[in-house]
Amino acid sequence: MSDALAFLSTGDAPALSPLATGTAAAGAQFETREGWEVPVRFAEPAAERHACEQAVAWADASHLRKWEIQGPAAALDALYPLPRLGDGLAARDGDGAWWCRATPTRALVLGASAAPAAPAGVHVLDVTAQLGALRIAGPLARELFARFCALDLRPHVAPPQAFRPGSVARTPGSVICEAPDRYLMLFGAAYGAYVWEVVHDAGTHLGGRPVGVDAIEALAAAAQEGEPTHA
Amino acid sequence: MRRLPPQPGERIDRSAPLTFTFDGAPVPAFAGDTIASALLASGRSVLSRSFKYHRPRGELCGCGQCANSLVQIGDRPSVRACGTPVQDGMAVEHQNAWPSLERDVLALPGRVGGPFMQVGFYYKTFIKPRRMWPVYERVLRRAAGLGKLPRRQDEREWRTEYRRRHCDVLVIGGGIAGLSAALAAARAGADVVLADDDVEPGGFELATANRERVRELAAQCRDAGVEILAGGSALGYFDGLVPVWQGDTLHQVRARRHVAATGSIEQPLVFPDNDLPGVMLAAGARRLAALYAVAPGESAVVATVGDAGLESALALHEAGVRVAAVADLRADAAQRPVAARLAEHGVRVLAETTVVRALGRRGVEGAVLARVGADGVARAGSAEEIACDLLALSGGAVPASSLLLQAGARARYDAVSGRFLPGELPEGVHAAGAVAGCDDAEQAALSGAVAGAEAALALGFDGQARDLAEQRARLEAWPLAPVAEPPACARDERSGGKAFVDLDEDVTVKDVEQAVAEGYDSIELSKRYTTVTMGPSQGRFSQLPAVRVVAAKTGLSLDAVGLTTARPPWSTVPMGALAGRPFEAAKRSAIHARHRAAGATIRWAGDWRRAYDYGQPEREALAVQETAGLIDVSTLGKLLVRGPQAGELLDRLYPNVMSSIAPGRIRYGVLLSDAGRITDDGTVCRLDDESFYVTTTSSGAAAVEQWFTWWLADWALDAHVTDLTQGVAAVNLAGPQAREILARVADLDVSNEAFRYLDAKHARIAGIDCLLLRIGFVGEVGYEIHCASAHGQALWDALMDAGAPLGLTPFGLEPQRVLRLQKQHILVGQDTDSESTPWNAALPWIVKLDKPQQFIGRWALEHLRERTGEEGGVALVGFRVPSGQVPTEGAVVLDGPGGRPAGQVTSARRSPKLGESIGMATVPSALAGEDARIHISDAGATFEAVVTTKPFYDPEGLVLRS
Repeated sequence: MSDALAFLSTGDAPALSPLATGTAAAGAQFETREGWEVPVRFAEPAAERHACEQAVAWADASHLRKWEIQGPAAALDALYPLPRLGDGLAARDGDGAWWCRATPTRALVLGASAAPAAPAGVHVLDVTAQLGALRIAGPLARELFARFCALDLRPHVAPPQAFRPGSVARTPGSVICEAPDRYLMLFGAAYGAYVWEVVHDAGTHLGGRPVGVDAIEALAAAAQEGEPTHA
Repeated sequence: MRRLPPQPGERIDRSAPLTFTFDGAPVPAFAGDTIASALLASGRSVLSRSFKYHRPRGELCGCGQCANSLVQIGDRPSVRACGTPVQDGMAVEHQNAWPSLERDVLALPGRVGGPFMQVGFYYKTFIKPRRMWPVYERVLRRAAGLGKLPRRQDEREWRTEYRRRHCDVLVIGGGIAGLSAALAAARAGADVVLADDDVEPGGFELATANRERVRELAAQCRDAGVEILAGGSALGYFDGLVPVWQGDTLHQVRARRHVAATGSIEQPLVFPDNDLPGVMLAAGARRLAALYAVAPGESAVVATVGDAGLESALALHEAGVRVAAVADLRADAAQRPVAARLAEHGVRVLAETTVVRALGRRGVEGAVLARVGADGVARAGSAEEIACDLLALSGGAVPASSLLLQAGARARYDAVSGRFLPGELPEGVHAAGAVAGCDDAEQAALSGAVAGAEAALALGFDGQARDLAEQRARLEAWPLAPVAEPPACARDERSGGKAFVDLDEDVTVKDVEQAVAEGYDSIELSKRYTTVTMGPSQGRFSQLPAVRVVAAKTGLSLDAVGLTTARPPWSTVPMGALAGRPFEAAKRSAIHARHRAAGATIRWAGDWRRAYDYGQPEREALAVQETAGLIDVSTLGKLLVRGPQAGELLDRLYPNVMSSIAPGRIRYGVLLSDAGRITDDGTVCRLDDESFYVTTTSSGAAAVEQWFTWWLADWALDAHVTDLTQGVAAVNLAGPQAREILARVADLDVSNEAFRYLDAKHARIAGIDCLLLRIGFVGEVGYEIHCASAHGQALWDALMDAGAPLGLTPFGLEPQRVLRLQKQHILVGQDTDSESTPWNAALPWIVKLDKPQQFIGRWALEHLRERTGEEGGVALVGFRVPSGQVPTEGAVVLDGPGGRPAGQVTSARRSPKLGESIGMATVPSALAGEDARIHISDAGATFEAVVTTKPFYDPEGLVLRS
């Protein structure tokens, strides 16, 4: 990325998630991780684990680095491991980052700590601050989505690796199924406070709770995931 | 009324007694009872008062669909007692009667005021004298309506949920057909949802010998993975989306295939006093006896036009209710097998006979049966009075086809079955059971299994597809049970007694006939004039009687009269269910919490929540001009345009030249429509050779991004557009002390020589990478500072901390508008409209017709200049009001004193800095000269203003550039 675009990226100062107001009000404890104030805990670990395993839990993952790739369709078609448009899938690279094709000429890479290498004519942009992110997990995760989102996330329609751009909480967003009953949801950063309000309201009504980012990571680890998969 | 001995398959649990209150009096009940069944079992026959005449009404349908059993439960009005399970301790009250259900004063006008309450009386009776209308209105409003809502808003609120559900097949209706359909589709492999409005699936068969069969079917459905939404009413069909209201949840079900198994609705017969408590639908009486072991009467007369009534009579007899007689309108009634069985039990079946009058005052005490002519009048000497306290009616059936009709099906009248049956079904929609004319339980089950299998097969699930053609052929060959067509209204020779077509709305035969006589001679017009079929039951029990009356009065056939248009909601639903959760999709800047903490007034600005002011807008505006101010402008649209042809793209979109901007410089631009009209404005900053940073108005960001993307796709230029609006926070630091404040926090030479007006620089402020744009929307030395939104709050804090000793003040949207008005900077959408061009919006310098590129709007501007001149007869100018009045925005500019409208005020404020009233207005070109006098008409007053074409403040821009 050009230095001229450095102002789009987060730097040394503490970076706040667009959900920060909501997570703080819900009792989050924060840690600074890679420059971001990350909510790492809301309750006792056992309570957070219980929500993940028995009901539904949601964690602010807005600090996840997000990159936008734009370029000619043919160039993006050749970009490994980016799936082809129409597959409706995201692919995971060896470092665990998700590669998602939004349009023929636009893609997102989520979770890569450095800008993805791109061939000539393809532009990469840091859009971390542009998008808020929530991880939602648990046996009632789909029920929670059903309260604010009309995307069809039934397992046989949206299996793990499914990438679904669409409307979340009546705003533009997208959902990736990371594993059974575990999803990553993206939305416009300016809607952060609103999306938190909606998810928190519906989730607590279903018996769920907000959790720190590590709780859902632990769930993934327990499921022994992390094997790279490619669409 | 009384409890019957235990009935096979009854729904009540006699080992679980409970108590609730009705109008304060305790009522015994059993778990499983509905409110109505418990009230009836306790001997109460009057459950409500009617809507218009306040006549006493008793149970009608026994299944939660009629309006006869509306009661108030706590804060909830209009709850159907016959469909609501009773709960221990529940407090139930009557509604729509005063002072009590038994003695209702409001019934008096109905008894004595016949001429005043004729059909359409609200168009006739209370029209004259006109001055009395406010009085009438107050009285009518107090008398109208059902039930009472709590006065306090918070007591009216209760939580409702939206739940979206996708499935392969949605089955609507949980009777034997619906369950069979769901099971077949699920066993074929489809993901199936079944919605049924009863608390237990099974439909009418629960009240028959098939009860165990349908319960077993329901269990099999659950085992096969069918999600059953019991107590869930399908509200409508919206291009495949079916909302289902269940308890406190609105399911939005999107299915790939729909099976309507909604059954049919038994219709009442029409005769004088057919609304007396004790007049019930035969199926309702049967349901009460079978499911709740309630004897709906001690002695019953059943009047029917087909086998359904005969079967209900037999069931009532077998349940322990004495059936005094059955009147069957068919000539061959005695030959029907069920009639023979009734005769075996000693029940008289009178052929070619119907009921012509109900007897009794506060409830049924008897019925008059007679043979009638085609006009419905009893033949001489045929009338027979029979004592009874239950008059059970079966006047034919109407398929519950509303959802099918909403989906696009058309109904046709079938004379043999006496029904409007749905004809050809739309793609993706199937019908099964009684709604499709399959009344017989075996036939309904088969039709359901076929419909479910066909729906699944259409989706590629072929597990149940064997013998489908043969089964479909069997269904089509199944004979329809014949019924007799009853008269529109049967009556004896006596006068008196209201014959109701619609019990919900108290619409009588006379009302509909009068409507037809007055020219409302189609069913649709008659419906609107009389409100027939428009009540809470949505015409379930009045559809066919209304059609019969219109047909009889007009001489048309039933088929020619037709049905009224089916519209959602098919079932009543609280408004709260449609509203969903009370959250509004609002955008907020990353600095929003700081504005709230500072006491800002937050208002909507487009889809953003913005700080309008911090309590003292004039003082905030003055602070900007005397020390420094800081405003959050994160809401500005921000686009990144990149690529080798990015400059070319911008040159084609803007009327001025953008590709010549040097890196690190900024240019103002307006965007035009194809018609050359202004659609948006903002700045374009060149970041490097191939990158441009474009700002737009706050409300125009999304539209501009779409505009850019659309044209980019059309022109196929090598460039890309990214909307950065939500990812970039921005603040505007402005005022005499702005440079000093910036110098304290930025690692940058901010001198006027090093950082010129319209320069763009990169710098770090408090460790944050920022893009600084030196622009001056508010007329002072100003810096627009952009950074990643995650740092927005930190940037705000750093600037406020550094600026506080120098008097830095946060300012909101309102002071910003005052400041920009002093400079006559236009606000697109405020000072421009759909006819504004750069020429008549005081921006002629921005149009570069001599540039080589074509640009959007060029053709239109060139032709406009040829036809009308550049300004087209109007101009946007500034004005001062010597008298100090501040006109309303939108006030009219006159073409002379006392003249005609010729323009309008677009913006106006009092400037605290200048101490005068200033504004902008569109005026005729002839009045657009410096110091011209214009006249403004506002709120009844006319006052003079003086035109100026130069900014009110710093007209040469020296402050801005200093």
